[in-house]
Amino acid sequence: MNFDIYTIVYILEIIVGGLLVGVGVHFVPVGGAPAAMAQATGIGTGTVQLAAGSGLTGLLAAGLMMSVSDNIWLILASGAVGAGIMVGSTMLAGSWIYAYAVGVPFASAKVNYDPITGFSQPPYVAIGTVGHGIPTVCFVSGLIGGMMGGLGGAMIYYPLYLINGNAALSAMFAIGIFLVNAVIASWNIQGTIEGFHDPKFKKWPFAFKACAIASVLLALASVLITGGA
Amino acid sequence: MSVGGSAGGAPSAYDPKKLRMYGLVGSIVGIYLGAILNSALDTNVFSFFGAVAAIFAVVMGANAVRRVCAYGIGTGVPSIGMLALGMGIIAVMFGLSVAESLGSWFLGPIIIMIYAGVFGYVVGVIANKVIKFNIPVMEEGNADLSMAGALAILGWSFAISGTLGYVDIVNDVLMTGYIAIIFIAGGLAILHPFNANLGPDETQDRTLVNAIMVGGLAMVATGIAAIATQGTAAGLLQLVIGFVLWFYFFKMYYKLVKRDAAAVVGTGLLPPTVQ
Repeated sequence: MNFDIYTIVYILEIIVGGLLVGVGVHFVPVGGAPAAMAQATGIGTGTVQLAAGSGLTGLLAAGLMMSVSDNIWLILASGAVGAGIMVGSTMLAGSWIYAYAVGVPFASAKVNYDPITGFSQPPYVAIGTVGHGIPTVCFVSGLIGGMMGGLGGAMIYYPLYLINGNAALSAMFAIGIFLVNAVIASWNIQGTIEGFHDPKFKKWPFAFKACAIASVLLALASVLITGGA
Repeated sequence: MSVGGSAGGAPSAYDPKKLRMYGLVGSIVGIYLGAILNSALDTNVFSFFGAVAAIFAVVMGANAVRRVCAYGIGTGVPSIGMLALGMGIIAVMFGLSVAESLGSWFLGPIIIMIYAGVFGYVVGVIANKVIKFNIPVMEEGNADLSMAGALAILGWSFAISGTLGYVDIVNDVLMTGYIAIIFIAGGLAILHPFNANLGPDETQDRTLVNAIMVGGLAMVATGIAAIATQGTAAGLLQLVIGFVLWFYFFKMYYKLVKRDAAAVVGTGLLPPTVQ
């Protein structure tokens, strides 16, 4: 490979993509196992599953757009919207189950008033739980997080594809970079978070630093690979 | 999720240093042996060596998951398995590509191991220093995990493609999509053993036997893929060996489960519903 100004741009794009993934994870309302039992606010599964789900959908959407256009803004927008739809539909289907099958009101235990709707929360939080369901603020926060993840995924995939010209290889590599950043960020939030209104959200600079270091190492490795035959 | 009763390091009968040596030497030697025999004898029946070599790496990885997760990382055991595979896939592609541009496939596994080890160690340092996990074995454990993930992916990729050439692996494993099978089967083999056995009564031998068992199951999967890429003889051989390994270690696992259980009782059929 020849090292020129474009290589530096590619490296920067991959690093920014990794950082978007790392920060985006903090927006997604991850409830983990407690949320699966409707004892905590958020979606009832782990961070990595949600981040990987939204990121991979973003990759697919970006790849699809890439097959018909090479305009970077369209590709990035497609990735972001794809991942946003993925997280949004997960939260919507989850909400139906919480509302109609489990039968819990949606309430957050981290704030007294929903920052978006202004509804009072504490009266609806069942004793012994830390909230349940997916309140409006968590839904909006999750959409933002999903879109950031998809944007990050597309931003990693796009330069990789330009470097090696091999879609399968770029996608696998992007998944690898994505998983590393998502797991580091999920360690930072210790498993569960409600969204941008959660006090834990203030810890994001730690994940930013950690993901920056990891992304630099990953980006340096990924610009060195070639596409094979 | 945290593990009850074993915070501060899981007790173990097999020393992690020894397991790491067996894992690294076993998987590297196995992959080289398979690659050299395949190219020297101009055949591909020795591809199964790669899948057997991957099992050594898997045992090392499962032990590292066990050591790190015994402290409780708060995000569930699967996250660390996915991290291992994420670091591994990047190390594998990087190492093979660099070895190809240096003109010698022989260097591939060594470059992969070094990159994976260094990157895993750095992630461990980040986790302890920046995210402030303060888990004493984090650096070591992440380096082990990264190397285990990388060598397991390399072993299975070799088992499917039959060579260590970068172009062949890209064409046979990545372009065909078998990498997805490797990714998930490998993730299961590394993360599932501790996830399935964790708890206050977790024992190291049971967890590791479970790892070998899932490794055998992954070998059945790569065998099916190898039938498509290398022909019936090489693929079937791999499939049969994988099945035998799985069956043997499943029996052993069942024995260990019975050993560790408080009691094994038959429940009989469900009683008729009383109105």
